[in-house]
Amino acid sequence: MTNLDHGKFSRVTTTFHSLLALTVFFLFFTGYAIAFNTELWWMVELMGGNEGVLLVHRFAGFSLILLTGFWVSYMLLRSTSRSNFRGVLPNRTDISAFVQDIKFALGRADERHPAARQFAGYKADEVPLISYIGKGVVWIFTVELLLLMISGLLIWRKTWLIDFYNSQSVVMAFVAFHGLLGVIMLMGVMFHTFEHGFHPAFYPVEMKAFLPKDRTPNFHDDPDEYETTGIERLRLRSSWRWATNVMGVLVVVGIVSVMMASLSYGGYPVPDRLQFNEGSVLRTIGVNVGMLVLLIGLVLSMYGNVLRARYVRQRRETAERTTAADGGEREADRSGDLEGGGRPGTDGGTRPIDDRSTTDDGTNDGRSDDDVGG
Amino acid sequence: MTQDERSGQVMSQGVMSTGEGMRIFPDVEACIDCGGCVVACKRTWDREIHNQRIDITTMAEGRAGPQGENADKTDRLAAGERPGETSLPMQCYHCENAPCVSVCPTNALQKEDDGFVSVSEDLCVGCQYCLSGCPFGAPQFPDSNEGTAQLFGTGGIMDKCTGCRERQDVQKGPACAEECATDAILVGSAGEIADELEKRDSGSFFNDEAMEIIFGADDAQLFSDQ
Ligand code: SF4
Ligand code: SF4
Repeated sequence: MTNLDHGKFSRVTTTFHSLLALTVFFLFFTGYAIAFNTELWWMVELMGGNEGVLLVHRFAGFSLILLTGFWVSYMLLRSTSRSNFRGVLPNRTDISAFVQDIKFALGRADERHPAARQFAGYKADEVPLISYIGKGVVWIFTVELLLLMISGLLIWRKTWLIDFYNSQSVVMAFVAFHGLLGVIMLMGVMFHTFEHGFHPAFYPVEMKAFLPKDRTPNFHDDPDEYETTGIERLRLRSSWRWATNVMGVLVVVGIVSVMMASLSYGGYPVPDRLQFNEGSVLRTIGVNVGMLVLLIGLVLSMYGNVLRARYVRQRRETAERTTAADGGEREADRSGDLEGGGRPGTDGGTRPIDDRSTTDDGTNDGRSDDDVGG
Repeated sequence: MTQDERSGQVMSQGVMSTGEGMRIFPDVEACIDCGGCVVACKRTWDREIHNQRIDITTMAEGRAGPQGENADKTDRLAAGERPGETSLPMQCYHCENAPCVSVCPTNALQKEDDGFVSVSEDLCVGCQYCLSGCPFGAPQFPDSNEGTAQLFGTGGIMDKCTGCRERQDVQKGPACAEECATDAILVGSAGEIADELEKRDSGSFFNDEAMEIIFGADDAQLFSDQ
């Protein structure tokens, strides 16, 4: 078994992830259109013109806060979900994995720490459900989002802090802080898109972010009985190589351009003034490439949902067919792109799909579920 | 005996020079809160009734200062005393170090080469940062109470005193200053304004920080020598 072939997230969490992505992308598009309006003037027009763009930004921001508020309370109220918050806390293994990875990068260690492995190819007992990198992504995004929400709200509702807000330096501090976080977050999101969309085993989307774990095929046998994890049965899409190269270049160009643009706009990370200079052709192309990467991220996020819908429909049809034809083959197992080491039910006959699925509440292997990890 | 013979000096008109490098500054000793400037501005530019491109702020209304009424306010203030009722025409002073320009995220606000601070309507996104940045309450948001703008707290497009740039381009003074019966709105170069205030035995009602914002560190010195 690999950690490819079981779901990580509940239905609520996968839905939350998709909606979160939608609001965050809109926030990026509108926020960047405002901040880099010289380069992204067309986006301002698209997002409601100068009179509408801020409206969209604030609406998306408000939706994000509502959404997150709902999701966090939902997770806290459900006892089965509460443990997830503990699941993303760093532990001692994470620290030693991190240290060993640094040594590895410096050439002082022969191999990476087992707990640093997060993708396919290893059996479930060899890899953590969520590695320190995954936990890092969770924490970085959480802190960034939280600070963005707070600073955004305070910028929106200036009157809450009117007593000390009314000075140039405080406005600058808030706005620069909000903008700086936006830049860091944007780079993180671009990387996140690349990391999960263009991994050879997942390309073009990592389904566990979209398919709830109660729908994902599961493996309940003893991993020791199997030589491999079944990863060798995955076929690499022929477009992967060029798509990944192109996307890699776009991500690098996008990240570098956004960073350079912020730098050249008068001092980075904290600008000495917010007045932005005239644009340049190169910077215009670069910043637009960054937005293209974001758009690809948004499209992939939607595509993930299309795949989920298609997969769920296929399984339903197969289930109907196989239940009718007694003793039929489990085609459903083959239809999923994710399937790694699954094999026909040991009884040789048809097992209704629900048998193989955990419930929304259940855990797959006794470890924490619903992780929002990376 | 005319005033001329008594002091040897003649009080200037409010408008001393116009166009490039012009500054606008209030003389609080002269302002009598008549509202003439407000009317002149509205009549000239036909702005909404609640859009105060210029507005008179009256402090300590109805209270006399130690010096009695209507005199010596800036000296009292400098001496650390309460100056009593004081009226101040507040508008955009087209600051040398305009904080509004430096906080505007979209370049909608610009310090132009001729010294005017202008707002470009099709770039302003109504974020209201300039409102927080401006120490003088100049930015106005006349549409902020309308429908969606109110719901989402956006201000609509920002509007403020233009310094009557069009009028100044044809050597006319700003409508407010031309209208002012007591010549309480001074228009001219920083030097002209400083000299005129000295001649009038008046001064600045603003603290050093604000003066540096309005005139820049160098020109602000012209006023502190008084
Ligand atoms: S800070 Fe206020 S007074 Fe100064 S130029 Fe800007 S709007 Fe005008
Ligand atoms: S409200 Fe308009 S002019 Fe004022 S800071 Fe925002 S974009 Fe600039």
